[in-house]
Amino acid sequence: MTTTQLTTSAPQWLHDMTSPSTAVIQQKSKTPILDPPGFTALQTKQQKSKTPAPVRKQPTPEEMDTLKLKKAWELALGPAKQLPMNAIGMYMTGNSLQIFSIMMVFMLFKGPIGAMFSIQQTFSRLETETNRGQMLLVKAAFVGCNLLALALGIWKVNGMGLLPTTRSDWLAWETARDPLERAYFVPS
Amino acid sequence: MRVPWIAATFFLARSALAVFADEAWNVDYHYALLGLPKQSTSFFHQPNPSSRASLIYTLSEEGVLGAVNPRDGSVVWRQLLLSEALAYNVSFLRAGEGQDTVISGIGSQVAAWSAADGRQAWILDTAGPLQDVEILELSDGRETAGAKDAIALSGGEHPAVVRIDGTSGAIKWQYQWDGVDQPYQVSASTTEVFAILLHKTLLGYVKLKVVSLDPVTGRKTDEHVVSSENELASAETIVSVGANSASPIVAWTNSAHSVLKVNILGTKEISSFNIEAHDSHAVERVEIHAPYHTNSLSHFLVHYETATSHWADVFHIDLKNSKIEKAYSLPKMTGKGAFSTGTSDANVFFTRVTRDQVMTVSSASHGVLGRWAVAGFGVAAGPGESVEPVHAVSEVSIKGTSVSAVRSAVLLSTGDWVLLRDGSPVWNRPEVLASTVSATFAIPAEVQEFVQQLEAEAHGNPISAYIHRVTRHLQDLQKLPAIMASLPQRIVQGFLGTSADGGIASDSFGFHQIIACATRDGRLVALDAGNPDKVLWNQQVADLQLGQTWQPSVSSPEGGIIEINSKASAGVRYNASTGEQLFSILPIDETAGEVALPVKYAIHKGELDATVDTKMAWHFTPMSGERIVSLVPRPVNDPVASIGKVLGDRRVLYKYLDPNLALLVTANDVTKAATFYVLNTISGAILYSNVHSGVDLGSPISSMLSENWFAYSFTAEASANSPKGHQLVAGELFESLVANDRGPLSASANYSSMQTGTEPFTLAQTYQIPEPISHMAVTRTRQGITSRQLLAVLADSSAIVGIPYGVIDPRRPVSRDPTKDEQMEGLVRYSPVLDFDPKWYLNHQREIVGIKDVVTSPALLESTSLVFAYGLDVFGTRLSPSFSFDVLGKDFNKFQMLATVAALAVATFVVAPLVARKQVNARWQFA
Repeated sequence: MTTTQLTTSAPQWLHDMTSPSTAVIQQKSKTPILDPPGFTALQTKQQKSKTPAPVRKQPTPEEMDTLKLKKAWELALGPAKQLPMNAIGMYMTGNSLQIFSIMMVFMLFKGPIGAMFSIQQTFSRLETETNRGQMLLVKAAFVGCNLLALALGIWKVNGMGLLPTTRSDWLAWETARDPLERAYFVPS
Repeated sequence: MRVPWIAATFFLARSALAVFADEAWNVDYHYALLGLPKQSTSFFHQPNPSSRASLIYTLSEEGVLGAVNPRDGSVVWRQLLLSEALAYNVSFLRAGEGQDTVISGIGSQVAAWSAADGRQAWILDTAGPLQDVEILELSDGRETAGAKDAIALSGGEHPAVVRIDGTSGAIKWQYQWDGVDQPYQVSASTTEVFAILLHKTLLGYVKLKVVSLDPVTGRKTDEHVVSSENELASAETIVSVGANSASPIVAWTNSAHSVLKVNILGTKEISSFNIEAHDSHAVERVEIHAPYHTNSLSHFLVHYETATSHWADVFHIDLKNSKIEKAYSLPKMTGKGAFSTGTSDANVFFTRVTRDQVMTVSSASHGVLGRWAVAGFGVAAGPGESVEPVHAVSEVSIKGTSVSAVRSAVLLSTGDWVLLRDGSPVWNRPEVLASTVSATFAIPAEVQEFVQQLEAEAHGNPISAYIHRVTRHLQDLQKLPAIMASLPQRIVQGFLGTSADGGIASDSFGFHQIIACATRDGRLVALDAGNPDKVLWNQQVADLQLGQTWQPSVSSPEGGIIEINSKASAGVRYNASTGEQLFSILPIDETAGEVALPVKYAIHKGELDATVDTKMAWHFTPMSGERIVSLVPRPVNDPVASIGKVLGDRRVLYKYLDPNLALLVTANDVTKAATFYVLNTISGAILYSNVHSGVDLGSPISSMLSENWFAYSFTAEASANSPKGHQLVAGELFESLVANDRGPLSASANYSSMQTGTEPFTLAQTYQIPEPISHMAVTRTRQGITSRQLLAVLADSSAIVGIPYGVIDPRRPVSRDPTKDEQMEGLVRYSPVLDFDPKWYLNHQREIVGIKDVVTSPALLESTSLVFAYGLDVFGTRLSPSFSFDVLGKDFNKFQMLATVAALAVATFVVAPLVARKQVNARWQFA
């Protein structure tokens, strides 16, 4: 009863919703629900997707190795690329013992040493059974680059005067010569 | 016009900021001393005749004239009349009644000084050494309105009596006599001047001759001999010649002190009195006390003293018939006593000070006007020693017929000058310290024990050291109740910043060292360097007869022990804390244990002789015409932390460190040259020498040697190429001047100077200084890490300066700016003129007079060195040449720090709930 009353007074959209016209549904959509007003079906997209995408060719294991090796070399030479920037930074901080320069020097040592300890972890993803021989060279290069960074740190520490390289650093271990005789003044 | 004022204000403000106000009068101490006062030259006197306030004037045994405020014992003014104390020590000090000047006589100089401020009014040199000075108290019409005239008696080849104008110091008349009579004293009555001469008889006896002079013209009016032929064996038994009393007298005794004879000057009668022996002891000393005023009653008191007791008789002089009568006696008392005379108008009062009471009597009758018990003089004495009064001067204040108060300045047998108001001590001045001849620092035994324990822990192996430490702390727990009891007080004191450094026993910084001073009169006085306001103990260690001298040297061979060496006794030891003599310890030559055969060297007959086991080792004879001025060996205990100097580029310049070094100074009086030698005292080799020509040998030449450097200063006469000036030379000895080179001996562990004679390379630099340095010393610290200061005594400005070594470093670059490396070492460009920075003055604004020697000692803190200077004044301080890097200064505010911590804690507790609520709200509420 209520529906008949609605049909007389309710707006068109309510009418469409409550009693969808089967003809309209069949024409426009497979779903029984009417498209919202202003909706346009994607006719063009359906047409494009009909052309199949080109199938990606799986790389061969050799190619994989070359790629991994390339990536590994990039990783290995990374520290060397930072060297000039670090060197400039070290030069700028000066040789005075200040909290800032000390912290920079500490970071300079912490980075390479940490990297060298985690060398297996760094290259484990890139290492395969076949490129193991070549990876050795890469790792050696990595260690070399880190050693270069360490050398920079040592150069800096030396500049700051923290390395016991001079005579004065060992002066405390030198003892005065003992005289075999002693003389005493007797006030008369 | 205003710019200089602003500039001056600016600089003054800066120098004022340079002194740490909290340290300046805190760590240093100063006794402005006069020396032991003499009875005859001490008196109360009103410097301003219109006011009743009086000062105590004295001319001491050290030749220092001074005025002391009787209220607090502070020195109002003082004048050093002698730089060296005279051997015969004859000096006079007189003040005329109602005069604003005092007149002193010492040596051959008579001088008048303003009584209020010590300014000199005039000075007069007499022909010979003074025998007496008096003030002429008469009105003869020729008297000028101002100061009263003085009469002086001088001896020498042309003895004379001189009347000196009181205002100008000009001679009014002079009476000279020929012949062999020796001048003795001068005296004056209101009408006549008497000169008492000593006439030697053929048999060697002495006769008293009195010459009467007319005071106006100086002509002789009469001459007579008062004593008979064989009465006086020498002048020593003449008791007194009363001066300026209404009727001056001369009194003498026979050599056995059994008869007293008195003559009123101007008359010929002699009154004779028997001295009754009160006990078995013979009378040793007889003294007369008479008022010094012409309008006082002519009464006098004779003071007799035996070894154990003393008594006195009072005599009256009848002026009409010139008779002397004994009025009454003051009873015998055991111990020594001092009598003094006080006057009020014409009345004369005698004050008697004994070891337990002060008593005042009138000269007219024996009734006691005032008697006060003395509970104690408030001075430190040796164990078992009773403090006796030696002499006194007093001032009596009279109310009606009774004595309301008596102030007596009493010299005690301990050498303290004490003021007694009635019977209670008001202040005391340790005048005995003014005659200090040798002083040393000694570490108290308790502190020494602590140091040894710390060293045991530092050098033992870690486990045993740990056990040692734990046991030590367990033992310390026994002191816990005492510490707990004193804790609240200490906390309060710590908060308020009023805490003293604690006592001697709980001295963990080593500031409380005991300073032992041996004085010329044979006493040993101990002070606490950390609490110098009072004397720890003071005792007689040498029984010296009159005229005897001793040359003690005090040292502290180990903690808690003071050792005195003199010619008479070698190595007498005393407990440093209590002063008890230690009998059980035999003097052991501690040098014998270390080295098989030590070389001992001494100055002997102007030459330097060294012996090894009685055999001659070497011998240094100065060049012909030269004499040895001084010899300064390197201190036996002179720790050096680093054997090299680190250069700016971190290379090392090795120091030439040899404990067997000495700096010898010789002078040639003819050529005016001074030669300075650095000697190796084992082999006698000269390591360095330098000759300075044109040296003023009359000014002091001081020298010092420490570590590997030496310094000396002298005054150079003007010459063609240099002006007259005072020079300070600093020299430093190195193994090699090449860096990193340890010389030919290299790093060998030991060496013998006999076999391998290495020579140092010496750098020296001369500086022009503004005034002569009379004495030098150097700061010493425990391990020698702290940099050094050269302590220089400036006699001309009465000051001590501490010159940092960096300022006189001989390595300062000459005529060029320092390089970067040299700058890093702290070297600055050499400039020949060295001005004493006001910040270097250790005395600040005090005047430190008559310093003869400075001793230094390391504290337990590495940064600090203790300094003690003696001579006339006594001055001590603590120095931190490299600043106090190991202790918090007084500027550290404990209260502020704790308050900050407490405030932060409170803030945390208050803010914490607020923050928590805010964080919760931040999650649940929308903005």
